[in-house]
Amino acid sequence: MFGKIQATVLALILALPVAAQAAKVKIGFVNSITGAEAPIGENLTNGVTLALEDLKKKGIDVELVKEDDTGKPEKSMAAFEKMATRDRVAGIVGPYSSKCANAIAKLAEKYKTPLLIPVASKEEITRQNLKWTFRLSATTYDYATILLDMATSLGRPKTIAIINENTDFGTSGAKSAKDYAGKKGIRVVAEEAYAPGSPDYRSTLTKIKSKKPDLVFMVSYVADAILLMRQSREIGITPQAFLGAGAGFATVSFAKEKAISSNVFSSTQWTGDVNWPGAKDFDKRYIAKFGKEPTYHAATAYESMMIMAETAAKSGGNREKIRSALKSGKWNGIMGEVKFADYEGYTNQNKHQMLVEQIQNGVHQTVYPPKYVSKKPVYPFPGWR
Amino acid sequence: MTIFLQSLISGILIGGVYALIGIGLTIIFGVMRVINFAHGDLLMVGMYGTFYLFTLFNIDPFISIVITMPFMFLYGGFLQKVFINRILGSLPQNQILLTIGMGLIMSNGIMLAFTSDYKILSTDYSSSSFDILGISISTPLLISFAITAGITVVLYWFLLKTDTGQAIRATAQDREAAQLMGINVKRMSIIAFGLGASLAGTAGALISPTYYIFPQVGSTFTLKAFVITVLGGMGSIVGATLGGILIGVAESIGGVYFGSGWKEVVVFVLFLLVLLFKPSGLMGKSNT
Repeated sequence: MFGKIQATVLALILALPVAAQAAKVKIGFVNSITGAEAPIGENLTNGVTLALEDLKKKGIDVELVKEDDTGKPEKSMAAFEKMATRDRVAGIVGPYSSKCANAIAKLAEKYKTPLLIPVASKEEITRQNLKWTFRLSATTYDYATILLDMATSLGRPKTIAIINENTDFGTSGAKSAKDYAGKKGIRVVAEEAYAPGSPDYRSTLTKIKSKKPDLVFMVSYVADAILLMRQSREIGITPQAFLGAGAGFATVSFAKEKAISSNVFSSTQWTGDVNWPGAKDFDKRYIAKFGKEPTYHAATAYESMMIMAETAAKSGGNREKIRSALKSGKWNGIMGEVKFADYEGYTNQNKHQMLVEQIQNGVHQTVYPPKYVSKKPVYPFPGWR
Repeated sequence: MTIFLQSLISGILIGGVYALIGIGLTIIFGVMRVINFAHGDLLMVGMYGTFYLFTLFNIDPFISIVITMPFMFLYGGFLQKVFINRILGSLPQNQILLTIGMGLIMSNGIMLAFTSDYKILSTDYSSSSFDILGISISTPLLISFAITAGITVVLYWFLLKTDTGQAIRATAQDREAAQLMGINVKRMSIIAFGLGASLAGTAGALISPTYYIFPQVGSTFTLKAFVITVLGGMGSIVGATLGGILIGVAESIGGVYFGSGWKEVVVFVLFLLVLLFKPSGLMGKSNT
């Protein structure tokens, strides 16, 4: 009997130091570290690195379990299962692409592990009534609406051509653009879904040129964004505006190709000069540390990690408590106000304010909505140099 | 009509590069009867070579083939001498596994050294074009087409007129008979693989100003190279040239008239039809 009490006391004493460091949490992070989407994935990793630094300053010690999904849904799923069951993480942040995020959204439900998706935008992800999946970023519908709102506020476009990669993100983006163009009274004159990785889009672009669209709307990742614009220049397509739905068009490597990137609009979740708390500071710190501009992917990953780790620390790592804390919580950081709400068929979806940036002389400048503008937009497209 | 002509011309121009990839593979198959599953990866190595020659030494991609070609020839010859010559007489599946393994080592080695990031090679003519009767012709593609045509002509002359070329063809026709005639078939194999590798590397160099470069880029082109060689008739150089251009045009026209997502379907349906009606390929002789 005495032995039992002794053992309990001993166990309590041993457990005490652990309880004293209640702010230690284990968080999973799944991302495209290698593979086709790695150049964008790098931004997410860097964002998370900065978040870990800031969390440490706040007294939250995060033990990060990092997994690479190489951009493939099946690897994402395996990573999620491993982190949820073997590593016993409190919550998971990631993955990058829509196809991966969509694949693991249901796993969050199965393993009752909170999942916070930073940036994947396919609409359906948060439209499946999933209780354990949260999304910080806006959806592809918002990508399309903000761009078309901007275009109609600056000019009178009547026709639009839509080109998209035939992936989850691409088709979802194209569908959203088509829906919203219909509502705005803009006629869709061409719809082209392409398989990524082809060296030649010239024939497709020629077909689009013959339709003389006022707007060219594109949904593509990094390399194809550059290829499409290069070949658009070759073919000589001159619409009122080239609209890129984030992803490849928001990257630094795209902006650097000045000959083809000038005056291209891109919808984005975040910019370095937006007046959300800490955004400008994040931009500066990121450039100082990694030697390049952060994209919106970095900012969403940073904010997601902050929210997940802080919530997890407060809830003592209890998954059920984390879920309800995420559901009821409210944040205001570098991504502006964040609140996971249920609306219009969405569950746990943050109603995020999108921005439009335009590449002017190799730099992304915020040009819409007027409240957040840093430079005046150039509209219509002045033609190729 | 403009759209049709535009896609036809784009298809022919890109088909020229495809042809070069196919010719390399077909020479290797013709001489060694080895199917080279590392062909696309050899192309990828050529792309990386071109990229670094351009970024580090500022050598124009089209001029850099003067360096890429002999380097890839030596590299291919080395692979043949050290690895492939050892298993020439063994089971086909062993040969396949060996070349797949070589390809994996190349792509993963490159990934380890240069990360999986996309590399974009931008020259000042990367997106330039000129106009003929409303049809835009891509300058870099036209240059690469001209170079491809030049290389193909020289290659024909080499294979038809020179002693080494004739020895290679003799080896391709009948390995044992060639050996009995005093031809050093092992050396011919080394030369043939070297040629194949240098053609693949050159094709890589030629498309790098307009395409993008990453370690796994090879697999797309390995598949394409197969379709081209089998379509043209395995071992036939004329067939590979024809096959390459045909695939280029089919992709381009398929992309316009069926939608870009369907162009692969068009290519493979065409491929199946040729195999159905002429199983040995367009220019192939059935020798079994």
